[in-house]
Amino acid sequence: MGKLTLQHISKSYGENHVLQDVSFHVDEGEFVTIVGPSGSGKSTLFQLIGGLYAPDNGKITLDGIDLNNSRGHISYMPQNPSLFPWRTIIQNVLLSSEIAGQKDMGNALELIEKAGLSGYEQSYPHQLSGGMKQRVAFIRSLNSPQSIICLDEPFSALDEFTRFEMQEWLLTIWEEYRKSIVFITHNIEEALYLSDRILILSDKPASIHKQIIVPFPRPRSEDILLSEQFMKLKREIHYELRGR
Amino acid sequence: MVIILLLSIWEIAGRVFNIPAWLLPVPTQVWQEAIHGWMHYSGHILSTIRLTLIGYMIGIIVGLTVATLLFRLPVLQEAFYPLLILSQNIPIIVLAPLLVIWFGFGMIPKVIVIVLVCFFPITIATLDGLRQTDRDLLHYMKMTGATNRQVFWKLQWPYALPSIFSGLKIAGTYSVMGAVISEWLGANKGIGVYMTLASSSFKTDRVFVAILLIMILSLTFFAIIALIEKWLLRWQRQGENSSNG
Repeated sequence: MGKLTLQHISKSYGENHVLQDVSFHVDEGEFVTIVGPSGSGKSTLFQLIGGLYAPDNGKITLDGIDLNNSRGHISYMPQNPSLFPWRTIIQNVLLSSEIAGQKDMGNALELIEKAGLSGYEQSYPHQLSGGMKQRVAFIRSLNSPQSIICLDEPFSALDEFTRFEMQEWLLTIWEEYRKSIVFITHNIEEALYLSDRILILSDKPASIHKQIIVPFPRPRSEDILLSEQFMKLKREIHYELRGR
Repeated sequence: MVIILLLSIWEIAGRVFNIPAWLLPVPTQVWQEAIHGWMHYSGHILSTIRLTLIGYMIGIIVGLTVATLLFRLPVLQEAFYPLLILSQNIPIIVLAPLLVIWFGFGMIPKVIVIVLVCFFPITIATLDGLRQTDRDLLHYMKMTGATNRQVFWKLQWPYALPSIFSGLKIAGTYSVMGAVISEWLGANKGIGVYMTLASSSFKTDRVFVAILLIMILSLTFFAIIALIEKWLLRWQRQGENSSNG
């Protein structure tokens, strides 16, 4: 469960040609990151996967189900936490499963504990720090029945230190649950540290420009960040993004 | 403080210039009447409170329903929004006798008057609140696959609650006025009746007692609504803008 396939996706808004023949797939339990210049249509790609709009051409399927213009098949974590201010933390975590129609209390409490937020169940979002809110947003997306999670630059608003902590935490918890993940970022290090595969989008109209298979074994440690190979890959992606 | 000062000036001026009580009673006279005349008006108060509550409740239901319908069905909004505004342009004083002709002297025309004055602020405030829904939260709901119904009840409605309450507070004070006006139409009980009786028999002090009663009633009403608001929106108490960041 959790195999996502995009075949020859194109999308334009009027004159604005955003996506051109984008094809890729995400395997079951795989962590795939999409990097690209800002405004390269990464968010449009998510809106298509989320079923908010239909692509002009091509087909998106998840485990054989057609996602074109069909919502509710993916779980989602946006750029800013988007927690509901009138809901307590536990109620926020439960929201995604409520929408999917099956409230799961036990799992939610377990996830809150794993996020290091025990004791905050009855707090409101404004009482939490930025990193804590993002953790709530992530476990909210974990706590719903869908087999794939789409993360849209989830850590871009955090400071460097919190960001790294969050990445480490994300890896630990993901390795335990192993849902398929599509991750969007413009941070190359983040992409290398987290993912199994990196897809590089070209500038508008965007298509998959290059694919990089990340060779580091899991579980990953901080050390790889300073390794020769890491630097080399980072440079490669950097020039790939800059080159045009 | 300002109120006490004004009342003192009124009191002193009244006594110094020896203004007759039927023209303008001084505050102490009004106060005397308010205390000693309890049995004259206590029944009237209850009747007005009852009328206000009934009218206000129906006004809330109408106001919220109209707002929800207009919001969910934009076609209706275009057609009915101008009508909504026009309904507020008809002077109640003109409308009231008509309502009596159509519905008689019973409860119905009075309730209609109150509903007419209080549904409008509720509708407008609710509509505004619903329209201001946070775009990020809306985007999240859509990406997660929430149905329109879920978006409405789980996001737009709670998001609009603070606005709705400002509408409810305005409507609350209007509804007391509405009740008094509606009692002028012809009723046998109520502060409005007490007021007309007092003024037609030149018992001016009683007119002022009536005014005092209306003020107290409005303030109490407002305070109760504000308390309910505070309790329902307790998540809001510390720090605004808590949805982002």
